[in-house]
Amino acid sequence: MFRIIKKSLKIGVVTGQYRGAEKPLLPVIPEAKEKSTLFKRSLAIREVDTGSCNACEMEMNALLNPVYDAERFGIHIAASPRHADALVVTGPVTVNMERALKDVHKQTPDPKIVIALGDCAIDCGMFKGSYAVTGPVERHIPVDIRIPGCPPRPAEILEALSELRKSTA
Amino acid sequence: MTEARPCDDLLKAAFPAIVQGDPVCGESSHFQVPKDLLPAITRYLHTQPTLRGRLTLIWACDHRPARDSYGLHYLFTLEASRHWVVLSIELTGNDRLFPSITPHVHAAKWYEREIRDLFGLIPEGHPDLRRLVRHEHWPKGTHPLRKDFPWDRVLGRRQGEHHFRRIEGEGVFEVPVGPIHAGIIESGHFRFSVAGEPIMQLELRHFWKHRGVEKLFEEQMLIGAVPLAERVSGDTTVGHSLAYCQAVETLLGLQVPRRARYLRALFLELERLYNHLGDIGAMCNDTAYALAHAHCGRMKERIMQLNDRLTGSRFLRGAIRVGGVTRDIENRQLTDIVDELNRIQPDFSEVGAIIFANASLTDRLETTGILHEQAAWDHAVMGVVGRASGMDCDLRRDRPFAAYDELPVNVALYRYGDVRARLRVRGDEIHESIRLIREIRSKIPDGPVANEPSHLPNPGDWTLSAVEGWRGEILYMVMAGEGGRIHRCKVRDPSFVNWPAIQWAVPGNIIPDFPLINKSFNLSYAGNDL
Repeated sequence: MFRIIKKSLKIGVVTGQYRGAEKPLLPVIPEAKEKSTLFKRSLAIREVDTGSCNACEMEMNALLNPVYDAERFGIHIAASPRHADALVVTGPVTVNMERALKDVHKQTPDPKIVIALGDCAIDCGMFKGSYAVTGPVERHIPVDIRIPGCPPRPAEILEALSELRKSTA
Repeated sequence: MTEARPCDDLLKAAFPAIVQGDPVCGESSHFQVPKDLLPAITRYLHTQPTLRGRLTLIWACDHRPARDSYGLHYLFTLEASRHWVVLSIELTGNDRLFPSITPHVHAAKWYEREIRDLFGLIPEGHPDLRRLVRHEHWPKGTHPLRKDFPWDRVLGRRQGEHHFRRIEGEGVFEVPVGPIHAGIIESGHFRFSVAGEPIMQLELRHFWKHRGVEKLFEEQMLIGAVPLAERVSGDTTVGHSLAYCQAVETLLGLQVPRRARYLRALFLELERLYNHLGDIGAMCNDTAYALAHAHCGRMKERIMQLNDRLTGSRFLRGAIRVGGVTRDIENRQLTDIVDELNRIQPDFSEVGAIIFANASLTDRLETTGILHEQAAWDHAVMGVVGRASGMDCDLRRDRPFAAYDELPVNVALYRYGDVRARLRVRGDEIHESIRLIREIRSKIPDGPVANEPSHLPNPGDWTLSAVEGWRGEILYMVMAGEGGRIHRCKVRDPSFVNWPAIQWAVPGNIIPDFPLINKSFNLSYAGNDL
């Protein structure tokens, strides 16, 4: 017990110890901002992987570590699409995952926003045209916001999310 | 290298009909085998006590239209001498059947099913011929790795149903999980059969994320395909790109400068560090021990930020190229790395001491998800999982690559095969990696960091390369095509071998322990599905 307290005192606060990100590469369109005004204070995210190389998932996981601690901005990860306000989709949509993606989108209650995370989700990246890939996310479900990068850094994801939830005024 | 080896003589004495070919890649023997003798030879290699061949890789190759045949190749690693033996058979004309070796060598199971799906060659006598890569909705006759299948064909959809193995009886019910899971994980489907609390059987269904990587390789130039190799499995960026580059360098006859070899080892160890730190945290998190998760997440983040400062990518992307590395790491930066690691090591030791002093955590870890040594051997399991189950293998020591011939590695080895053993292997490897990086810092020579390729390889040449990634053996088979293109590239992530073994570690445990067991294996879905 004392060891744990000592350790915690020694480490101190690490939250926020990262290089700040540039403004998002793709500007957030007003419609998406309008849609997300409801989620200004809290945003429950469901992550769906449709064929990424798992680097994007690792960066999403990094969002929850003490350094980025996305929960301090009211962003948390929901275990079920039924509890989610936003779907974050990573990876090009593969032939085998297409149906699962459509299902998950249907199961997410309205109003919802869809975020395409990473180059693959936006335009299939390196896997464009492959027989096993049926297209980017927006070919199957409507996408509200795109966060480019291969993979985007956690700071960039946070920046894009906070940009999205800033008031329109 | 034509000197006769004892294993070659043994094989030739037992099977006079086989023909020895030229060695294909460094330390290996290559045999042409008559098709009907194959099961007997593989059984001999696998079970003979002096040989104990571990099935390492099976790959097929479509030689059409150059000549009307398919080639099938079987790679065994002999346990005693760490020597590679490649057996090759050829299917000519309209012959689409090859003898299945699964009844003798269990580890061949998924390889043969994969070959059947991707090439349309049928393993005769295979006990389980359900589709593996091609899900049930793929149209009949789609075998994407055949040369006459265009890489960008649009697949249609048809009706179909996948049949799981089923246990029937009173009180037995099935729990389907996935492909989309709670939490931020990749896509895969698990089907549990449970009676009461304990799991009786687990069946995996993967390949949801099949992206056609091997076909995409065939559209690329040998030199230019490194970015694709980096994206086979994102967390093993260095492992995959290094294995690919080594194969291409062998084909081009290209020497890598000594400094570049040291830097490659440095990148590989950095990758091992951040992944192992993340894994230990995630395993503790699955036992609801958030404190350890937070500390490990913090340390992992420090290494990833270090990677970012070194190469401009948190995953070390774009660091390795054919012929060397893309940029030099100055000696000043190397000192910075060692300083940072000198700060992280005592930090990690403290967290480790806190973790292992926690009785309730130990209670969850011990005797959970045991993979016995025999099961590990039967499935040819390797890497972290194998070393926790008593399989003494580490390519950094057994087949040195990069600079490991000058950097001796101590291999962490445990025998219990439970979750705690896998945690301990990772913990030991973190200390070992830090020690190696210190050694790299003190031994690294000056000099150039890359050589340029000067000529094109001969079409039809092929080679194998192996790298010990942080999960285990990564294997690449690259065959050169016309004009510096790739004819065939077989990618094997360690996950492909270790996934089926998880089905043997789970029965008897309860479903709430499955996430913990799964995390302790921590296998890649992307690297498996390709």
